[in-house]
Amino acid sequence: MSERGVEGPGSSGSWSGLSIAATTNIGVSVTVAPIGDIRGNLATLLGQTLLDLLGMFYPPALGKKVNVAVTELIQNVMANVLDEDSALGLDLRVDADALVVRVRNKATRAQFEAVRARVDALAGCPDPKRLFTDTLRARRQDGLGGGLGLMRLVAENRFRLAVSYEQEHLTMQAAFPLLRGTP
Amino acid sequence: MNVLTYGEIMDCGVSVFSCVVREDAGSLFVSFTGVVRVDNPARHLGELLADLRQALPARAIVRTVIDFTELEFCNSNGFYIIMDIIEMVYAAATGPVLIRRLEEDDWQQETLPILLNLDEAEVAARTNFEEVREI
Repeated sequence: MSERGVEGPGSSGSWSGLSIAATTNIGVSVTVAPIGDIRGNLATLLGQTLLDLLGMFYPPALGKKVNVAVTELIQNVMANVLDEDSALGLDLRVDADALVVRVRNKATRAQFEAVRARVDALAGCPDPKRLFTDTLRARRQDGLGGGLGLMRLVAENRFRLAVSYEQEHLTMQAAFPLLRGTP
Repeated sequence: MNVLTYGEIMDCGVSVFSCVVREDAGSLFVSFTGVVRVDNPARHLGELLADLRQALPARAIVRTVIDFTELEFCNSNGFYIIMDIIEMVYAAATGPVLIRRLEEDDWQQETLPILLNLDEAEVAARTNFEEVREI
């Protein structure tokens, strides 16, 4: 398995978790196959559904993080579908230590290498928020949409990103630490 | 209160986002409501931008409130339309701008200041925040 990881601002020592009082653990797995059957906006549907679900147990900030991660990661998958007969997998876990979102889809090694390069670029960036700001303004200037998803997860939502590749499948992971018992 | 213009995004036949711009005795109120998830929000809000471009310069606006507290989600394509509206408002109005935003929302706390161009001294000097706690 190949793997690369990048943390949010914490990689420079200031990454901090979200303090929550709830002790509930939640795990959700969704698989859709074949991916070619998806007709509507699956990213929106799953992001909003999980936001509503987590809202039952946690402060709104946690559900919002999940909403952004699920929306951005699934939109990335849907924009780069390799095989319409393949599956898309989403796993969400919230436990005492962390909130973890994983999205898995079929991809070529070249696609994995491209994603890994972006994750590595974020990992090597001393100031992800500056990079996010500069990229956002440059893309606006050039009339380009999107292209900010992974950067947003790190700079805005302080997720730790990791990407891995196994058996022709790419898994993107976004993780955020939780500090239980401290509302 | 005079409604200067109004724009919305329809998704699958349902209104999912609206922006309302009101004016009253030199005060301008801009509110964003709903979610921006569509790929090309500018296509939906072009008329709003055109209305603002035409209406704002003719007004003597001395105080502005921009309210983001009902904006539930904004994708990265939505950033640009928000920037377009904000820039137009800051350019047309003089005086202070109060930004109402959610206290516990990563987008409104981390990314919104970038969209506002707060690293420009003139913008920063005119901008104040009201932090709103979500219930």
